[in-house]
Amino acid sequence: MPRYELCLILKAMQRPEIAAVLRRTVETLFERGAIVRGLENLGERRLPYKISKHDCRHSQGGYFSIDFHSSPNIISGLLEYLERDIDVLRPTVLKKDIEISKTQCCGSSPEKTKQASLH
Amino acid sequence: MFALSYCRLLLQGFSRQPVNPVVRVQCTRSLTASQQPTKDDMPIKIENPYKQPPRTCILCKTPVDLKNVQLLSQFISPHTGRIYGRHITGLCGQKQREVTKAIKKARSMGFMSVTLKDPQFIKDPDICGIRHFD
Repeated sequence: MPRYELCLILKAMQRPEIAAVLRRTVETLFERGAIVRGLENLGERRLPYKISKHDCRHSQGGYFSIDFHSSPNIISGLLEYLERDIDVLRPTVLKKDIEISKTQCCGSSPEKTKQASLH
Repeated sequence: MFALSYCRLLLQGFSRQPVNPVVRVQCTRSLTASQQPTKDDMPIKIENPYKQPPRTCILCKTPVDLKNVQLLSQFISPHTGRIYGRHITGLCGQKQREVTKAIKKARSMGFMSVTLKDPQFIKDPDICGIRHFD
């Protein structure tokens, strides 16, 4: 199953409410047959620009990242669900498959770096 | 009659001498006593000792991640937030494209500002070497 990363920006809230939102999100993922790998808190910070969502203009937000494996069919449904959630400001799903770079960047080659990591 | 016999005598005299004399050349170059074959005089094949190390850009080893806003902010203007071109950043083609894509993604995802550089990153070391009008 391909690997995805859900970068979530939540409204600035108290800890128990944030926990409830994350719990809701992860349960939704489980319902749709996703395997959650891990959850990271990237901190609560000022948003780079004011985001207007669900009739409110926000300037602070909590950044979270959920790593998961799932089938590609559920992604559109998941994004629709997250758009409707009033506590979520901006959901984004990124593909996280390991890309084998065919063209080498100038200087380093993948074989050399592999040898360096072995030794 | 006499001329013919005289000619015959001359020809016989000439035929005793060899037509193509054998020339013997003494090899005066080699000072060694042993007779070595000439193929050892060829140059030994080694790698070019004056070879320059391959030119690398500054981001060759580091992976570019769109959550690493501090790294991406080093390649945008502090006044307008515009992405610097290749002639300013000095990155190679692949890395420049990765950085540009990452900056655009980060902007749309709400990680990075569009029109300015995050104030906490303004004091970062300058790697692009661009001089602004101050």
